[in-house]
Amino acid sequence: MTKLSFRLAFRLALFLLSAAILSQFCLAQTHDTPQPTISFQDFPATEINDVIIPVPSEIFNVLDKLGSPNWHATILESRPNSTSSRTHTALLLGITIADGFLAVQAKDSEKIKEIGRDVLSLSEALGVRDAVIARSKSIIDQAEKKDWRQVRIEFDGALQDVRSAMRQLNDEPIAQLVSLAGWLRGTHAVTSIILNNYSPERAELLHQPDLIAYFDRQLDSLPQKLKKDNYVRKIRPALSKIMPLLGIHDGSSISPDNVAKINQITSELIQNILTTEE
Amino acid sequence: MNPLLPLLLAALLLLSSSITYPTVNDALSFAYEGAEPYVRQGFTFREDAWGGDLGVGDRKAVRIQLFKGNEYWFITGTDKLKARVSVFVYDSEGRLVSRDHWHRSRYFGAFVAPPKTGAYWAIISVERSPAERTAWALVYGYR
Repeated sequence: MTKLSFRLAFRLALFLLSAAILSQFCLAQTHDTPQPTISFQDFPATEINDVIIPVPSEIFNVLDKLGSPNWHATILESRPNSTSSRTHTALLLGITIADGFLAVQAKDSEKIKEIGRDVLSLSEALGVRDAVIARSKSIIDQAEKKDWRQVRIEFDGALQDVRSAMRQLNDEPIAQLVSLAGWLRGTHAVTSIILNNYSPERAELLHQPDLIAYFDRQLDSLPQKLKKDNYVRKIRPALSKIMPLLGIHDGSSISPDNVAKINQITSELIQNILTTEE
Repeated sequence: MNPLLPLLLAALLLLSSSITYPTVNDALSFAYEGAEPYVRQGFTFREDAWGGDLGVGDRKAVRIQLFKGNEYWFITGTDKLKARVSVFVYDSEGRLVSRDHWHRSRYFGAFVAPPKTGAYWAIISVERSPAERTAWALVYGYR
């Protein structure tokens, strides 16, 4: 009886294992070629993030390929100081990190070191110094070595570290403002470069309507207190003015006039942020 | 010998293959590992990464702004050795724009040279996996 039960159990175990192995083979059936088209209307996938915000270098990289822009001319002369307002300091930090990317493009190691220290000081004012202290040191070290690629990576990392630290402090709106100010400063610099030597190919880089829409939604979702902030409340109407100038459809041409208008709008915003109203 | 022992062992084996602990951190490490050859080719990979866990057949869409003139490699990594977590990139009209792709071990790569500057969709899909849930991570680099 015991022997029979053992045999039966052994066979059952073998059957179960075979079934498991077979199921693995079935799972191995794959679609090696992707679908050439997909319909987003029928698409069952869930979406993460509204849109991924590009780092400034992604845009600067293309401009470099289209010529040799004078990056030095785009770097801000005056360096921002932190203020007692967290909102204002967050905007200043975004601008400063974007300036860091510009200084890397200009291969200006002294300016990079200066900006690296500013990033640390502004982060300290926001209570996230510990998150970026290693980055700041690395930015300065790599700038000393003139390892531009590594400096760029460190600035990218500093931006991520600040945002992560803000989220850990449950300060997501402040993290969003850092990103937004960085985008504004990057766009300001890019329009200056394009205006110096306009071509439709260069201007096409400004075609980022999804990003504007994303920032607009972020500003809309800010707490009332932040929405009423003197610096923040000027940004949303400015974004509404920029939106139609960027070209609605992918590949649409952006005229020199429109580039100049975007430059003017972003310049006013940046100047406003750099001016302490206290 | 206890006659139930083989059954128990089989059940234990089956259970261990079905219980999974998706680890996105591992997936991310593999994604960066898969990106290494492209770093040597001059691609800069962002420190930002995206990840999660999905069931077999599930897909995730990531909206992303790409710039004409740049080249991009999108790399996914997974913690499951026998899984295939693909990434393909489509334009806003739903047309495939990633022209080259490969799958090796825990990595999957797709290359894009965007025909226009604009917003695109990176579609991540768990095509096969030995586990019920599969951790994945996506990184991308540009040159």
